[in-house]
Order: sequence, then structure tokens, then C-alpha cells
Amino acid sequence: MDLTLRAALDGPLDASCIAADRFAALGERDIAALPVRHDGRAGTLGDFFAIRGERKPRVRVIGQLERADGIGTGMAGGELVIEGNVGRDLGLAMAGGTIDAHGNAGENAGGAAPGTPRGVTGGEIVIRGSVAEGVGSSMRRGMVVVMGDAGRGTGQRMIAGTVVVFGTIAGGAGRFLKRGSIIGVRDIERPATFRYACTYRPPHLRVLFLYLRRQYALPVAEMHVTGRYHRYSGDLAELGRGEILQWAGE
Amino acid sequence: MRINGVAIEDTFAEAFTMRAARIVITGKNAKWAREAALDLTGFATSVIGCKCEAGIERPIPESETPDGRPGLSVLFFTMDKESLPQRLVERLGQTVLTCPTTSCFDGLAAAPDRLPVGKALRVFGDGFQASKVVGGRRYWRLPVMEGEFLIDETFGMQKAVGGGNFLILAEDGDAALSAAEAAVAAMEGLPGVILPFPGGVVRSGSKVGSRRYKNMIATTNDAFSPTLRAITKTALPEGVNSVLEIVLDGLDAPAIEAAMRAGIPAACRPGVRGITAGNYGGKLGPHHFHLRKIMGEG
Repeated sequence: MDLTLRAALDGPLDASCIAADRFAALGERDIAALPVRHDGRAGTLGDFFAIRGERKPRVRVIGQLERADGIGTGMAGGELVIEGNVGRDLGLAMAGGTIDAHGNAGENAGGAAPGTPRGVTGGEIVIRGSVAEGVGSSMRRGMVVVMGDAGRGTGQRMIAGTVVVFGTIAGGAGRFLKRGSIIGVRDIERPATFRYACTYRPPHLRVLFLYLRRQYALPVAEMHVTGRYHRYSGDLAELGRGEILQWAGE
Repeated sequence: MRINGVAIEDTFAEAFTMRAARIVITGKNAKWAREAALDLTGFATSVIGCKCEAGIERPIPESETPDGRPGLSVLFFTMDKESLPQRLVERLGQTVLTCPTTSCFDGLAAAPDRLPVGKALRVFGDGFQASKVVGGRRYWRLPVMEGEFLIDETFGMQKAVGGGNFLILAEDGDAALSAAEAAVAAMEGLPGVILPFPGGVVRSGSKVGSRRYKNMIATTNDAFSPTLRAITKTALPEGVNSVLEIVLDGLDAPAIEAAMRAGIPAACRPGVRGITAGNYGGKLGPHHFHLRKIMGEG
């Protein structure tokens, strides 16, 4: 099923009704009638997207979607592919399924709704470009993979789950993280409340990276699959049962 | 029916329904994967005395293992579904967990019956263990002195077949052993089958119970023991002075049949007088492997 943006958005569009599992049960008319808010005004999804196909758990969203926010909110299953950049709150509080974004993503991707303690509780989000602040915030379970750079606050307040970043990770990564893993292969600005544990070859990373290659055809370099990683435990200001794994060489 | 001049008796092997798991062990290299697999499958020849039967199924190339390292698959069999997880927890915990560089994966991911083996072993981590879900599978990461041990949370269990067999009736011990070695070589690495006995060969086939000792559940198969030919009801043809048995456990009956189809012709060598099979009259085991049918007669 394809949703193609009709015209460039001149204001923020709350597109949180777009979710693969919901569309799997809806016809074209029902999908087109789903409510959205554009620049604070009420509208329908069909006002902004041409919709082709129905009742399919695999949905493609096509267009320059930098101002389309909340795509995949609360999604619990199915497959959402985004052909282009996407706005903030991608996969907000998602519970299952996969989102594969072939571009950059805005703030709070794979994050939590304001004022809620938990973000993503399952599923996988792949962002093939870079991502702004707060990716994976308050994640409880699941995985977010960023092929480019990640902004400040990556994985902050994580309860569990996994965030993988193949570019640089800006400051504040993992702050107030209880459990969970932040994995980086380039520079990571670590909080002082993470403490070095050891340098080793984590066996689960081989499984994870080979899975990413196989499932999403991501170009994970062999040196990252087989390499050594520094392990930093933290956040010691919190439970301290989480980790930052930073690639340390072959 | 004859193969290479060796008589194939018109009889069948009688086998039993068992429960099986497939364990995939990987290591830094094939040596360490094999070390773990050998210890895991040690003392697992027969449920009669070992509570389980196990063996190495085949090497797994790096391209097929979950972590891209060289590995081996091991098949594990018990008579009932309750004891399979117990044996796996005991043995994996003492052999694979302890072996440097290894990781341990489920080889029956599609099996609906799941055994919480990694879930049980995780407590060795004393609360420091952590889990990771990758592609819908949960793995446990156990901190160990070397670094980390990785194991699947659950392992699949399926119904299987244990006790497929054939007997090599030979003129002497050397001929029997050569034929058995050739048969094992022909069957090694076939998918879904293991030969749980030493080198794949049994010299002490047994009968059920005892003529003399009430507490013995299995005793020597006197009908096939050459030294007893003159004083017992023998099953040995004229000229046979040594018998060796090949026992096969498989994930299903076709896997056992395929292995027997490979092994029996290989055993039909000079010095071998006949090939037969062990059964209990067809009343105990639900799986019957008719030698001539397997070898294509009719």
C-alpha cells in the first residue's frame, strides 16, 4: 500500500494516524478519512496523501515528509517504509512491527509521548540517515538503528532495549538510563556517570549486526561485526545496569 | 536380496518415539566449537544408562550460523519431554557455558514446543545477566570471567525417532570393524541423524531384560554373541564370528531411512556375510525400518 504526499507541506502535519497495523484492517476510503491536523487545523489524511491499495500490513509513505510528525505512533505490527526524510516523533511509543526510514528523522524518534514514563515497548526502527535529538528516549524494549549521526540525548532515560548508531553520537547519550544498550562505532560524547568496564568482543553484537545485514541489507562493515568494543556501565546516577558499547578497533 | 554379494535379511529395525532438540554451538574457530560439542555429547550413548542420547550432527559453516562463526550442530534425544530440558540445562551448563569463546543457539527455531533452557541457565549470572531481543529471538548474555556467554532463551523440541539400527554380520572382527567404519563414514554429516555410540558403532548390542538378574533392564544380546553360539538360541548364520551394530537416532523417520540407505551398502564389503536388524517382534516400537524396503527392493 502506498501513501504519496500530494504537495510539499507548508506547516507541521500531525500524521500519527499512519501505522501499518491500523491500515491492515482499513479500506482506501477509511484510510483517506482518518483525521489529521495540519498547522493546527483539522483535516483528513486523504487531503494530503494519494492513497493506493488497502488492507495490507506493508505500507510505503513517499515524499518529503520533514514536517510530517508522529508517523508510526503506537504501531504494534506490520511494516512501514518511509521513502524520504521524516519529521519528529517517528514511531512514538511503538509496540511492534518495523519502520524503515530511507532518510533523516526529526526529534524524539522512537521516543515517548511528553509526560509518559515509557517510550517504545517493542518493534524495530531503522533510520538510514541521521536523526535529531532524543532518539530512543525512555525506550522499554525494542531497537532503533541509525545509520547516520544522532543528536543530543540519544537513549536518555532508557529502561531497556537497544539503540545502534553508525555515525557520531552527540552529548548526553544514555543520561538516566537504567538498563539497555547504546552501541556506537564512532565518537560518543559519554556522560561522566558512565564508568569504563572492559574492552572485549560482545558476542551478541555479531548476532545483531548480521541480523541487520540480513533483514535490512544494511551495510554493516565487517570490522564492526568482529571488532572489539569498550564497555561503559551506567548511568551510575540511576540503576547503572545499562551500557554504552563503543567500537575500539579490529 | 544381496548387495555386493552380502545378504540383506528380510527383517526390520524397530525404533521408538523420542523427543529431540538441536543445539548449534559456535566458537572462535572450529576447534573450540568441537571441544564444547564433544563434552556436551560425552556419555550420551544410550538412554538406558545415560538418560539421554546425543551426537554431533554436522559442521555448520560460518554462513549458516547466527553469529557468523564456525559451528557444529548437536542432536539431543530423550525418551520423554519432561527430561529433555533437564538434561540440556545440566549439560549445556557444564560443558558449553564453561568452554572458552563458545555461544549456544537453538537449531529448531520453528518448533512450537519451547524449552526454557537459556532462561534457566541465565541465573548463573547472579542477577548481572542481561537479555537482548534480536529478530524476535531473546538471547541471554551471561557475564563470565572470559567476557560474555551468549545463549538463546528457549530451544525447540520436537518428536523424533530413536533406535534405528542395523547389524553387520561378519566373518571376523576386522571385517566387521572395517564395514562399520565404512558405514559410519557414509552416514556422517547427513542432516537430521546422529550415531550416538562410540565412533558410531556398538559392539554390545542388548536385549530387553535378563535371563538371570531381575534388576537388569538390558543385558547382552546372546542370540548375536558368537561365543555363545553353542549354548544359546543363536541368530548367527554359519561363518559369522563377529557382529557390530549401528544405532541411529533421527529427527524423523525419513532422516533415518536416508542414513540407512547410505550406510548399509557401504557396509557390504568383503568379509561381511549379512546385514540384519534388531527388533522386538514389532510390539514395542511404533517405527519399523524394513531393510529391503529401504534398500529399494520392490
